Amino acid sequence: MGYPTTIDGILGIWTALALMLFVYSYPLYKENQLFRFAEHFFIGLSLAIAAIIAIQTTIRLAITPLMAGKFYYIIPILLGFMMYFILHRDYRWISRYPIAILVGSSIGLGMRGTIIPNILSQIISTITPPKAGADALSWFNFVYIGIGTILAVMYFLLTFEHKGPLLYPTRLGRWIIMIGLGAYYGNTVLFRMAMLSGRAQFLLQVLGLVPF
Amino acid sequence: MSQETIWERLQRIDRRVIYWLLFILLIIPFIRPLGLPVSIGPQTISLLEGLRKLKEGDVVVVNISSGVSAWPECLPSLVAVSKVLIQQKAKIIYWTSFVDGHMTFEKIVEKVPGFKGLKYGVDYVHLGFYTGAEPTVAQLATNIRAIFTTDYKGTPIDQLPIMRGVNSAKDVKMVISSDTGDYGDYYIRQWRIPYGVPFAEIGIAMIFSSYQPYWPEIIFGMTGGAKGGAELEKLIGEPGDATVTMDAINTSHLLVIVAVILANIGYAATRRRR
Repeated sequence: MGYPTTIDGILGIWTALALMLFVYSYPLYKENQLFRFAEHFFIGLSLAIAAIIAIQTTIRLAITPLMAGKFYYIIPILLGFMMYFILHRDYRWISRYPIAILVGSSIGLGMRGTIIPNILSQIISTITPPKAGADALSWFNFVYIGIGTILAVMYFLLTFEHKGPLLYPTRLGRWIIMIGLGAYYGNTVLFRMAMLSGRAQFLLQVLGLVPF
Repeated sequence: MSQETIWERLQRIDRRVIYWLLFILLIIPFIRPLGLPVSIGPQTISLLEGLRKLKEGDVVVVNISSGVSAWPECLPSLVAVSKVLIQQKAKIIYWTSFVDGHMTFEKIVEKVPGFKGLKYGVDYVHLGFYTGAEPTVAQLATNIRAIFTTDYKGTPIDQLPIMRGVNSAKDVKMVISSDTGDYGDYYIRQWRIPYGVPFAEIGIAMIFSSYQPYWPEIIFGMTGGAKGGAELEKLIGEPGDATVTMDAINTSHLLVIVAVILANIGYAATRRRR
């Protein structure tokens, strides 16, 4: 894809760039009218798109089959309509029924495949050594994850006081948990940086400094 | 009035200075790529190995549960995976749980030259948007036509040659999910476990560690964020957007590391003084 050549294409990327700069004016300068305009514009546009998609999906998945003679589709339509009673204080109780059905069915479906992937397979993955010929880092990870899991679990051993033989393992377990949370936070930062890098690249593309 | 020491000043750097430095450091590698080395993780290698096992005509579902905002993280992997799927001559079905997912699909088609030789509706298709989280994913596993009656252009699903004989998880050889949230878990619980469909994850960096315990027992391969994308690009020998992005991410991380070190030195020095 090259630099847009059509009027709407060019207008589109420059509008996007302007809105992006309005948004970044907040962290790079301070709160201002342009930032607020971009913020409200974005929220309004997102809601409009979401509303259109929701209406289209309802028509496609519920109204069309209903019109085609599948009358039982009236049940999900009614349940969906009952959700809106959450907005009225006196009739809020009506909305609890569709919510209960939604939560119940989701929990039921979620439970279906939980034991194997979340317990058994994770134990197997933890105790499975690296393949033959794996590098030293893979072996270090294997040992670290194996011992780290045991120590981290020991930290939650609350039946006994963490002293005597439990003092050092539980203290190490706490460190392992902190390292894990730190790595998780580090990955979160990595994600934000990557998103920002995408915007930096877009800025340069619109200015014609790097190819699209 | 006591004069402020350098250590005290280090702890009070205006956040705008940090943000400007960050923005500048992110821009430089795009203008002048640094070409920093990318090490390849075992999860990415096993992802490619899994894809290479596909045979001609195998049906693969690519679930797009990442939005346009996550393009820098997920798009490079989606592009690289699509290239490999085309090389393997697999039939590709895309669908999305994000309202802007069709933009991601169109971007993939634009970025993968191999699609030019393929026919839409015969070799690949985008069925469009679905909502309803895990119950819908479970329904897709048993009856795709209960959720999708047309593709995203409005063509009835039964008029698409690629969909002939494809209506449930049993007809699908592999699922690949691009995620910023929980959809990977839904596919594990509703496709991988009950039907044994091989599953791979293209996650943002943030959720990579959450899916790590599933590998290799449940997830046969995975990539995490732009780094995973860069690894996959390197493995298939086609450097792309993620390879360039990684330079920018590395320089920005350097700034974060320097800022953390300086702030801690400042904190330690002032604490000693107190």
